[in-house]
Amino acid sequence: MRWGGGREIEEERIDEILELIWTLRERGITDLDQLLEEGKDLEAKSILRVMIRDDLFDVEDNRVILKERGEEKAREIIRRHRLTERLLSEIFELSEEVVEQEACKLEHILSPGVTESVCTFLGHPPTCIHGKPIPRGECCAKFKKEMKPLVIPLEELGLGEEGRIVFITPRSHQRLDRLSALGIVPGSILRMHQRNPSYVLQIGETTLALDGEVVRDIYVKKVKD
Amino acid sequence: MESCGKETRPKDSSGERIILIGNPNVGKSVIFNYLTGKYVTVSNYPGTTVEVATGAMFTKGKKFQVVDTPGINSLIPTSEDEKVTRDILLQGPPAHLVQVIDAKNLRRGLLISLQLLEMGVPFVVVLNMWDEAKSRGIDINLRKLSEHLGMPVLKAVATRRKGLEKIKENLQPHVTSFPAITYPEAIEDGVSRILSFLPEPPISKRSLALMLLTGDESLAEWLHQNLPEEEISRIEKIRHEVQTRFRDPIGYLINQARLRKVDEILSRVKTSPEETPRTFSASLGNLAIHPFWGIPILLFILFLTYQFVGVFGAQISVDFLEETLFGEWLLPPLTGLIHRFIPIPILQELLVGPYGILTMALTYAIAIVLPIVGCFFIIFGLMEDSGYLPRLAVMSNKIFKRIGLNGKAVLPMVLGLGCDTMATMTTRILDTEKDRTIVTLLLALGVPCSAQLGVILGMFSGLPIFYLLAWIFLIALILLMVGYLAARLLPGEGSDFILELPPLRVPKISNIVVKTLARIEWYLKEAVPLFILGTLFLFILHQTKALALLEQISTPLIVHFLGLPAKATEAFIIGFLRRDYGAAGLFMLAREGLLDPRQILVSLVTITLFIPCIAQFFMMIKERGLKKTLWISAVIFPIAFGAGGLLNFLLRFLGL
Repeated sequence: MRWGGGREIEEERIDEILELIWTLRERGITDLDQLLEEGKDLEAKSILRVMIRDDLFDVEDNRVILKERGEEKAREIIRRHRLTERLLSEIFELSEEVVEQEACKLEHILSPGVTESVCTFLGHPPTCIHGKPIPRGECCAKFKKEMKPLVIPLEELGLGEEGRIVFITPRSHQRLDRLSALGIVPGSILRMHQRNPSYVLQIGETTLALDGEVVRDIYVKKVKD
Repeated sequence: MESCGKETRPKDSSGERIILIGNPNVGKSVIFNYLTGKYVTVSNYPGTTVEVATGAMFTKGKKFQVVDTPGINSLIPTSEDEKVTRDILLQGPPAHLVQVIDAKNLRRGLLISLQLLEMGVPFVVVLNMWDEAKSRGIDINLRKLSEHLGMPVLKAVATRRKGLEKIKENLQPHVTSFPAITYPEAIEDGVSRILSFLPEPPISKRSLALMLLTGDESLAEWLHQNLPEEEISRIEKIRHEVQTRFRDPIGYLINQARLRKVDEILSRVKTSPEETPRTFSASLGNLAIHPFWGIPILLFILFLTYQFVGVFGAQISVDFLEETLFGEWLLPPLTGLIHRFIPIPILQELLVGPYGILTMALTYAIAIVLPIVGCFFIIFGLMEDSGYLPRLAVMSNKIFKRIGLNGKAVLPMVLGLGCDTMATMTTRILDTEKDRTIVTLLLALGVPCSAQLGVILGMFSGLPIFYLLAWIFLIALILLMVGYLAARLLPGEGSDFILELPPLRVPKISNIVVKTLARIEWYLKEAVPLFILGTLFLFILHQTKALALLEQISTPLIVHFLGLPAKATEAFIIGFLRRDYGAAGLFMLAREGLLDPRQILVSLVTITLFIPCIAQFFMMIKERGLKKTLWISAVIFPIAFGAGGLLNFLLRFLGL
């Protein structure tokens, strides 16, 4: 049992160090001494040895260079950390202190599946709350390739073009109810008629005039003609 | 169980009810007029009917009571006029239902059909505007649709009275079973839990439970009448529990499930062409809301209105009626007759004196106001029936946004140019109480009704165009400023601008004629008695010398502050009864050469902003409550005289 527990702690330490290497590298620092100083970990040296043995990184001329496995592991942990930060601060509106604390815990335990879900839920954010880049995951690549050119805000639909509604962001319940009573629900096809002085949309044989505010809630997929 | 509950209800003494229900602007009122032989206003824009109308119909020796209702998009109301319709369904006794659907817009109609089926009430479906659907290449299989719904389906062209007779034969008496729509599991679960609390409603419990799940606040009143407090809070709890299971609001999920069913039915009964052919009226309709071309079209329509109402109505027609008909043909012989046969001076005065009923009240009402109002009603009817009014809302949405409203507010405001009293009632089509209050205030403050507007246009037609433009500019400026302030000071929220644009249609002359006559009749009934009352009032003031006294008292206000002749006081006194009567008084002063151009502008700005007429005042109390009405009046008075006075000083300062 002790061995298992010890192993977990070791894993966490490795994660922390990989994270540190990554963030230092972002600041342009690859110096090993600097790493040891910032690490402030008494056992750091022994852990570093384990890490080198595990083929995570190499030291050349006192410079730390991540190897392929280490790079991947580091990217994942940074991604988990920064996504968690965003989730906690934006969705749950927690204070920065709590966010940091929790993110440090969660970064070790989030499974790849949950990480993807969080990323998708947040709309594949490119940066963390401190403005640093969040490493892209597979889901982001998919989003870029399949979704991005397809799902657009209704506002961006060209004049005379048709779009199938993909989703409507529920800013107010009443608005959503009213739109759905007029047949505006995901799956319905809209045609953009004009944008000024008001938006005019065609749905079936119904012509509707709407505010920009309402239109901004609607996202569509272009229908090919 | 349900049918037991229904049968015990007492039958209405005035016969079984036939309720017309359907989306806005599908032709319910036309069908109502056909079935009852009565006339309710018919126009080509959503929201014409804001109040329930009832009329009798006789068929096969039986008497029915037909009910026309405001249009709805869903039986979960989002505005006051929709609530009116839904509440009718909640009241017993059971009735025959006729659902009118615009055949072109079958999808939206079926969304309501499904809700009616869920309610377990029988109905006849009338697919109206069959001709328009056909010309667009839309084909609907009536037999299949009827099979899907389990209800009779008829096609009709109501404006040409085609297919309407069949409604009478198809008033379906029994409920057929309809395979219920299944909603997401958590919703179904919530429904079955709520069911156990509900009393026996006039509609199916399931539909009521669904309405409650959506958090339909307009049901609160009904609930409190029929259920104990604790059960209401239990229902509320269930609703919350169900809602936590979804990200989207329940009402939206329910509508989505219904629309899926609708689309399933549509795919089996309807075929429509890939490309709808472009028609001339569609192109013109598009031009009318075009960001560029819409403006010259708007100006052209305004110009035509001015020519017809201001020139033809207020000058040519008034000249003829007032000077020739009344001044030469009617009044001199009548005066002679009265002087010969009624030898009592005071009665002579009362009839043909300077404040006489014939010489003042009827001359004003028939010779001055009527031709102007009549012309306006014709133009207005054309605008209504062509479908231009909602397009005006599109053009003006941005302006109304500035004052916290949206383009939809243009409908009551433009209707206010017809009659502010009616327009105050039409504020019901707006979605929030805040919107309704602001529009009621603006209507009461500065939207001149047709009678007043006509008289005003008539007075300006003799002056350089600058004066008319200055008047328009000032009134618009004041309305914008007051609206802007009101939007910031009043609590509550504004609403979204979501408005349906009906197709542009060629107005039917017969409907314009009927509508104009109905409005003129209404004007005569409404205005003439008040004109006579106002004249009597002035007559008494004049006889008792109180008029001179009042003129003296108000000299600082009227003469010094506004810079008008003392006689203008009379116009403002009768203006308390009707603003148009007051304006007509000013019209006469101007004709007699007692007002110079500056005085005309000042007096007209003041009378335009003056307090609303008595009928509008009562309508405001009815719609907004006494407290708000008194507040609105308290705001209006100082604005009217303040604006007039400031303008007077400004014009003098500029040396105009």
